[in-house]
Amino acid sequence: MLINSVIIILREVLEAALIISIFLALSQTIQLSKHWLIIGSLLGAIGAIFYAVNIQIISMAWGGIGQEIVNASLHFLNYLGIISFIILFRNDNTKYISSIIAICIALAFTREGSEILIYIDGLISLPAMRSPVLLGGFIGMGIGFSVGVFCYYFIVNLSARRGLKIALFLLVLISCGMILQVTQLLLQADIINSQQALWNSSAFISEQSVLGQLLYALIGYEATPTPIQVYSYLFSLLLMTFLVVKTASHLKEREQI
Amino acid sequence: MLITSRSRYLYFILLLIINKAVLATPVVEIIIKEHLFYPSQVEIPSDTKVKLVIHNQDTTAEEFESFELNREKVIPAGVKGVIFIGPLPAGEYPFFGEFFPNTARGQIIAK
Repeated sequence: MLINSVIIILREVLEAALIISIFLALSQTIQLSKHWLIIGSLLGAIGAIFYAVNIQIISMAWGGIGQEIVNASLHFLNYLGIISFIILFRNDNTKYISSIIAICIALAFTREGSEILIYIDGLISLPAMRSPVLLGGFIGMGIGFSVGVFCYYFIVNLSARRGLKIALFLLVLISCGMILQVTQLLLQADIINSQQALWNSSAFISEQSVLGQLLYALIGYEATPTPIQVYSYLFSLLLMTFLVVKTASHLKEREQI
Repeated sequence: MLITSRSRYLYFILLLIINKAVLATPVVEIIIKEHLFYPSQVEIPSDTKVKLVIHNQDTTAEEFESFELNREKVIPAGVKGVIFIGPLPAGEYPFFGEFFPNTARGQIIAK
């Protein structure tokens, strides 16, 4: 049970930790105030509690697919947030940039935090589970937090230009993973008509393996994606790459002036 | 003339209803009780979309998860959660309850 709790909590924390560390590193690189972390975390904590408390009502909404609709919306809004961030990143409008980051963090916290709360709230009601779940939760959180810290220092210690490039690249991957999640949830809820998987790479990289889990957090790895998932992923990858390249060339031009 | 067109219209409606009934997505109910799935072996037609209704009768939440099916969903205590799966090629697709993986295990068999 201990290992299981570690893995469940780690998976949720990892997704939030990666995105937070990348935004922190980007803020450090462009010397943006990191106030957004406090506002985003607070809003996210409120969101997560609200979501977890109302999980029964949300689950039964829209004929039993409320969770999919809410989660898909959270992922999609987060995706839009990252797009806006990349577009605004060209300008020096730090007030808007900070707000956008705070919103992205709040959305990620709401999504991942609510799952942690639902898990812990359910299991600590069983006396035999209490200590392994809490201990496992702390270990999982610790590992996830460490990965975030590592990611932050890794980016910050690169040269400013290189760090910027890698951080933006990681943001592109994470945002495309979000779009993959949106299509996945819409398929699960039968809002998009499902099709057979395009390929099966589970023999190559299993989704259950450590590498599979890490890739899932980073790029939304699926071993058996449907055509619509692959196409939407590629579309968002192209769109995000286009925006990042535009932003990068704009920054370069400005540096030369 | 009027009667024929009306009966034709009725006939068309009837056909629609029959069609809808025949083509409706099959529904399979699974119950979670004391961290076990009932039934734990679920047979479904292959190459057909199926609606799983998962009724969690425990007082703790469970997360239905299957890597093979690409599905993951929290089923809160006392709630009936809906998950659509398929169309699936014939084969076996294990699933488990992520919150109680030692006991909550099952398998979808597409035939």
